[in-house]
Amino acid sequence: MEVEKGKTAKYLKETRPVPKEVTEHLKYFTKTKKTLLNALKEGDKTVPQLAEELKLPKNEVMFQLMSLLKYGFVETGEIDDNDEYFYYKIKSNGKSKS
Amino acid sequence: MNMQEQMKTLDYDVLVVGGGIAGGESALNLANIGYKVLIVEKELSIGGKMILLSKVFPTLDCAACITTPKVSEIARHPNITVFTGAEPLKITKKGEHRFEAVVLQNPRYVDVEACTGCQLCEEACPVSVTDEFQFGLIGRKAAFIPFSIASPRVAAIDIENCILCGACERACPPDCIDFTQTEQKYLVKAKAVVTATGFKLFDPLKIPRYGYDKFDNVITSMQMERELAPTRPFNTVLRPGDGKMPDNIAYVLCTGSRDKSVGNPICSQVCCMYSIKQAQLLMGSLPMADITIYYLHIRAFGKGFNEFYAQAQDMGVEFIKGKVGKITEKDNGNLILRYEDIEAGIVKEAEHDMVVLSVGVLPNRGIDEVFDNETLKLDPFHFINQSDILASPAKTSIDGVFVAGTASGPMDIPDSILSGGAASAETTSYLRREESI
Repeated sequence: MEVEKGKTAKYLKETRPVPKEVTEHLKYFTKTKKTLLNALKEGDKTVPQLAEELKLPKNEVMFQLMSLLKYGFVETGEIDDNDEYFYYKIKSNGKSKS
Repeated sequence: MNMQEQMKTLDYDVLVVGGGIAGGESALNLANIGYKVLIVEKELSIGGKMILLSKVFPTLDCAACITTPKVSEIARHPNITVFTGAEPLKITKKGEHRFEAVVLQNPRYVDVEACTGCQLCEEACPVSVTDEFQFGLIGRKAAFIPFSIASPRVAAIDIENCILCGACERACPPDCIDFTQTEQKYLVKAKAVVTATGFKLFDPLKIPRYGYDKFDNVITSMQMERELAPTRPFNTVLRPGDGKMPDNIAYVLCTGSRDKSVGNPICSQVCCMYSIKQAQLLMGSLPMADITIYYLHIRAFGKGFNEFYAQAQDMGVEFIKGKVGKITEKDNGNLILRYEDIEAGIVKEAEHDMVVLSVGVLPNRGIDEVFDNETLKLDPFHFINQSDILASPAKTSIDGVFVAGTASGPMDIPDSILSGGAASAETTSYLRREESI
C-alpha cells in the first residue's frame, strides 16, 4: 500500500472508529468557545460576569476561557476596581483559525 | 522465539529506564566517558518532574534554566539515544554484563526527525482536552507539543481524543504527521541497567475530607507550581474556581505523607521546602497576599534550608503548627479550615480564599515486575531497595542493575542528581569489571 503523505488520517479511520464521546466533547467545546467569544464581543468581561450571563459554572468558564487565552483567541485586560477579577477581551490581532 | 526474530535488535552498553534528572545525569556521565546509552522514557519528553517546576529551593534558581541545557545536552549527545513514549516490557539477565530488554515504542503519529515544532498543527486541531502537563488547569489540543520546553520539542497526536479529521496533516508544512505509525517493539541488548523511574505524587482524592476536586479552589502543590512557572496556565496566579486573584492562601503540609491512614507513613522530604519556596514566590507575585502554612514539623535539614525557612518567616509567611482535619467551602468559593492548633491544644477554624495541598512523594510502581528472571527487591514502602545503602548506594538486588534518584525513595533535586552521579559511577565500575576480565 502506497501511503499518501499529508492525507494519512483516512487510513486509520478505516480501522479505528472515533468514539462517540470524543465527537460529543468536540461539539461541546466548539459551542462553548462560540458562546464565550460572542459574549466577549459585546465588551470586556470577568469570569463571574461571563458565568452569570451565560448560566455556566464559574470554574467551567475559567477553564474554557483560559484555554482560549492559550489558543490565542482572548487576551487579558485590566483588573477590576477591587483588584480581584481580571477583564478578558477578544484578542485584537486575533487569528480566527481553527 | 518467533516474536524476537521479528524485533529489531539494538545494542548499547547501558539501558537507562527513565529520563528525568536522575536518569539524565547518569546517562550523561556514562556517555561522556564513552559508553553508548539508551534512555527509555515513558512520557513524550525527557526532563521528568523538574522540567515542569517554576523555581528550585533554596537558591530560587529557575528550574527550566537548569533543566533545559541539560536536557539539550542529553538529546544532542552522540553516545545517547532517547526513546520517548516508550517503556521496557521485559528485562532479562542472560548472564553477567548481558541484559536483554523488550522495549515498546508507542506511536507518536509524528515523524520526530521531520517535525520543526512550528505548532501549525496545534492551531489547526479543533479538539480541546485537559492538559496533563498543566495538571488539569487548562486545555490543550489533540495535536500538540507537550509543553514549550519539551525535549524533543516536536508534536504528538493524542490518538484517544483525536477525531481523525486530518486538519493537522493539511496544516503541516513538512508533512510529518503520519497516522499509519504503529507500535514497535525492540530487543535491546545492554551490559548494565540503570533504573531511574522516579516518583508519583500523592492523589489527594484519597483524603476526601480535604475536598480536592469537590472544591474548585483547593489545588495541589504541583498545580500551584504551574501557576508560578513562566509557562503558567493563567495570566497570573488565580483561583481555578472563578479567576479571582487570591489574597489569603493556606498550605496544608503532609498531605499524604507521614499518614498511616493513607498507607504512606514516611516523610516525603521535599514538601516543607517546596511549600516555603512557593510561599516566597507568591509573596513576590501577590505582594498583598497573606500566606499561612499549616505544618506538623518543619523539616529544613539540608544545606541552606533553615536559613531559607527563616527568610520566609522574615518575609511574613505565617507558620501554624496545626493538623488540618477538614475543609469546607463557602458560597463565595472561600474555604474554612478546621484544624487542631497543636501548641495551644485547641480546635480552631480559619478562612482562606485558596488552599494548596502539599502532596507527598509515592513510588512509581511496576518496574520490579519488568525484571523477568531475577528479583528486583523493593523496600517496605515499595521504592527500589538499596541493598548496600552506605557503601554502594546505587546497588540493587540484581548485580548490574543500579538505581538512581527518587526510584529509591523521596529526595530533593540536588540529592537526585547526586544519586544519578553515584549510579553512573557504580555502573562504570561494573562495566570496567567486565573489561578487565
